[in-house]
Amino acid sequence: MSECDVMREGMPLLLTESLDPVRRELTHSHIERCPACGDEWNGLRETWRLMGELPKVEVPASIKERVLEAVGQPRPQVATVVPLFRRVVLRRLAEAAALVVLVGGSYYAGHRTRPVELQPTQATINSVAPARYSIAESRVFPADLVSPTIEGRPDIENVSFIDTNPNDDAIGLSFDITSHVTVTGRPTDKSMVRLLRYMLENHETMSPSRSKAIDWVRATYSRPGNADPEIAEALGNVLRNDAHQNVRIKAADTLKHMGASAASDTREILVEALKNDPNPAVRIKAVEALANLARSGVQLDSATIDTLRQKAVQNSENVYVRVKAAEVLSSVHQ
Amino acid sequence: MRVRLSSACVALGLLLASTASARPMAATDRLSETLSLGIGGSFWIDNPIGSIEIVGTDSPGLNVTAVRTVTGEDQAAVNEGREQTVINFQGDQNVRFIQTVVAQTHARNWNSTVAYTIRVPRTVHVRVASRFADRIRIANIAGNVTVKSLTGLITLDGVSGASIIDITNGKVVFHYTQKPSSHAQIQAVNADIDVSVPPDSNLNWIADTLRGDVLTNLPVRAEFQGSLFHGTVNAPGGPNITTQTAVGNVRLLGNGLPITNLKSLRQVAESQNVVAQQKMLVARSLMLRPARRVQLPIVSGGFDFATSVGDVSVGEIRGPARIQTAAGEIELGMVYGDCNVGSLGGPLDLGDIMGTLTASTGAGDVQVRSAALGGHISTAGGMIRVLYTAGPTTLESGGGDIVVRQAAGPINATTQSGDITITADPNQNTQKIVARTEQGNVFINLHPRFGADIDATVVTANPDLNSIRSDFSGLQIRRESDGNKTRIRATGKLNGGGERIDLYAEDGDIHITTISGSPVTIVPPLP
Repeated sequence: MSECDVMREGMPLLLTESLDPVRRELTHSHIERCPACGDEWNGLRETWRLMGELPKVEVPASIKERVLEAVGQPRPQVATVVPLFRRVVLRRLAEAAALVVLVGGSYYAGHRTRPVELQPTQATINSVAPARYSIAESRVFPADLVSPTIEGRPDIENVSFIDTNPNDDAIGLSFDITSHVTVTGRPTDKSMVRLLRYMLENHETMSPSRSKAIDWVRATYSRPGNADPEIAEALGNVLRNDAHQNVRIKAADTLKHMGASAASDTREILVEALKNDPNPAVRIKAVEALANLARSGVQLDSATIDTLRQKAVQNSENVYVRVKAAEVLSSVHQ
Repeated sequence: MRVRLSSACVALGLLLASTASARPMAATDRLSETLSLGIGGSFWIDNPIGSIEIVGTDSPGLNVTAVRTVTGEDQAAVNEGREQTVINFQGDQNVRFIQTVVAQTHARNWNSTVAYTIRVPRTVHVRVASRFADRIRIANIAGNVTVKSLTGLITLDGVSGASIIDITNGKVVFHYTQKPSSHAQIQAVNADIDVSVPPDSNLNWIADTLRGDVLTNLPVRAEFQGSLFHGTVNAPGGPNITTQTAVGNVRLLGNGLPITNLKSLRQVAESQNVVAQQKMLVARSLMLRPARRVQLPIVSGGFDFATSVGDVSVGEIRGPARIQTAAGEIELGMVYGDCNVGSLGGPLDLGDIMGTLTASTGAGDVQVRSAALGGHISTAGGMIRVLYTAGPTTLESGGGDIVVRQAAGPINATTQSGDITITADPNQNTQKIVARTEQGNVFINLHPRFGADIDATVVTANPDLNSIRSDFSGLQIRRESDGNKTRIRATGKLNGGGERIDLYAEDGDIHITTISGSPVTIVPPLP
C-alpha cells in the first residue's frame, strides 16, 4: 500500500475529526505536498460541505440494513455496479449517504461488533510517569507537547533546522530560548531543592545578590521540617568557594541555624572554614555551627577535634573563637 | 508457711534471673608479661581507652599487667569484643612499644577497655598516647615523659625529667617531690592544672588561661602580657614550667603550704592598678581581668565593667555604660546614658541607647535597636544591623552586610565585603548619606520627596551585569574604562537637590529606590 493510499484511507476520519493527533498531522503534511491527494481531499471536503447544506434525508431502512449486512458479513463478489441515480445532486447525496454509512459502519464494525475480552492480569507497576518537565541544559520536546500559541516575544537564538533522515517525515527545530520561568512548590519539594541548590552553586548573577538569596534560604530552610541536606551541601560549597566575605559569613550562619541532621554532612567544610578562612566572623560562625552539631549529639571525628584543639590553644586566634572551640571540645566524650 | 516460703523463693529466683538476663554481659581477662628493657631505653604505650599507671623502679626490665574488660549485650558480643581488642608488644630492649588495637567496626554492640599497670626502670623515657583515659599516672621517673590524651586525669608524681603534657578535657596534677630541674610544658583546653613544688624551688613560671584564673601560694614576681603570666619563683635561673589552658584554672602550689594562702594573680594585678597602667594596650589589660559572666536585670546608675572572658547581659542601665570584654557576647536592653561597649570577639546585641553609642567588636555581628544620638559602630568581621538611628552614625564592617532600617541622621557606612542597605526616615527631606562597599551592592531607599545631590559610582568587571538603577529621574549616567574594569557614574539632583549622597560599589549594583510608606519593624521582646 502506497503512502497516498494510507493517507486517503484516513481522510474520512480526518473530515470527522476522529483521527489521532499524530496521524492528523502526518495526513495534513502529506496533503500539502501531494497534489493528487490534495485534489482528493478538496473533493471530499467539498462534498462534506455540500452535505451540510442539504436537508437531512433518511436512508431507507432496507438500504441501511443491506449495507450493514454487507459490512458485517463477507462481501459477496459483485460482478457489475448498477447506477441508481442519474442526476448529479442525487448522485452526490448518495455518495454522502454512502460515506456516512461507511464511516458509521466502519466504526461499528471496528468497535461495537468486536467482543471485549478482559484477560485477568496481575496488577504491576511497570513504570512511573516521569515529571512533565525537567530542567536540563538541552531538551527535546515532541511537537505535540508544545503549545501552538507562542506567548510574548521570547528571545530565540541559534536556530537550526534538523532533518537527519530526508526519507522520513521527521524534522526538528533546535534553538536557544530565554524566557522567564517561575517554579512554585513547597520548600521540601525535591525539584525546588535541586533548583535552589543549582542556583546557589552555579548562578553568579543572582538577583539582587547571592547574599540576599542566602538570607531567603536561611529564613526558609531554618524552619523545623524544612532543613535539607542538599541545601546544606550547597551552602557548604558556597562557604568553601565564594570570594565574597559576607556571602561566606551568611552561608556559615545559615548552616549554624539549620538542623544538625542537615548540616552534619558539611562538617568538613565547616572545619576547613574554621581552619583557613581569613575573616574572623566566618570562623566564629563555623565554630558555632560545629558547637551546635556537638550539642545535638553528632560524634565529632578526630580531624575535627584536632582542628578545634589547635584553634583553642592558638594564641594568634581571636579569643572568642578560642573559647568557643574549647566549649565544643568540652562536649567530646567517648 | 512452707508453701508461702517456697513461693517467695521462686519469685525471688525469677526476679534475680530476669535481672541477670537484662544486665549487660562483661568479661575480664588479665595478662602479665615481663620483657627486657635497658635502663637507658624508651617505653611507649598507645592505649585508646583505659587507665594507665607507670611506675619507675630500680630494677631492670619491663613488667606489664593488663586487664582487658569487655562489656556487651550478650555473650556473642562479648566474645566479638575480646577478639577485636588486641594487645601488641613490639620493639627490643632499647625501645619497647605496647599498643592496644581496637577494631573500628560500625554498629558494634560491645565496648572494651584495657587498664595497664607497668613497672619500668626509673631512668627510661616514657611516652603515653591515649584518647579516653579515666586516669593516667606516672610516678618516680627520671627520664623524659610525654603524655597526650583527649580526656582524663593525668597525674605526674615524682617525675624529674623534662615533661610534655597535652590534654583536652580533664585535669593535670604535677607533683614534684624534689626541686624541679627540667623544663615542663603542660598544655590543656578544658582542664585545670595543678603544679606543686617544694617551697624553696627556683623556677620560671609561665601561665596562660583565657577564662580561668592564675593562683599561687608561693612568692612570685609577676608580669602579665595579655593573658600570659610570666613569673619567677624564688631565685631566677631555674627551669621553665609552662602551664597553658584555655578555660581552666592554673595553680602553682608549695608543698606543705596552706591552701588557704592561694591568691589570684589577676585580682592582685587589678588591686595594684596594673590594669590602669596598661590601658593603652586594651587587649593586654583586659586579659588581666578575672573572667566573669554577668547577668543583671537592672542597674541603677552607671555601669562600668571589664572582664577577660565572659558574657554580659543587662536588662536596663539607668546611666552611662562602659563594658569591655576580651571575648564574649554583650547584650543590653536599655541604656539611659552614653554607651561604650567593646568586645575583642563576640556578638553585640544592644537595645535602646539614649546617649551616644560607641560599639565595637573584633569579630561578630552587631545589632542595635535604636541609637537616639547616633554613634560609631564597628566590627572587624560580621553584619551590622541598626533598626533606628537619629544622630550621625558611622558604621564599619571588615566584612559583612550593613543594614540601617530607619536613618533619621547622617549615615556613613563602609564595608569591605557585603551589601549596604539604608532606608531614610520618611520625615527627613534631606540628609547626608555615604555608603561604600568594596564588594557588594548598595540599596538606598528614599521617600519620593527626598532631595539630594547624588554621586553614585559602580566599578565593575562586568558592566553588562552591574549597573546603577534609580526610581528617580534626572540622573546622568556616564561609563568610562578604568583599567580592566568599567566605571559607571551617576550624578544629579533629586527633587531639586539637597544634602550630598555618596554611593560607591565594586562588583555590585547601586539601587536608589522610592518608598511610599513608613518602615515597620516587628521587634521580638527582650527575654
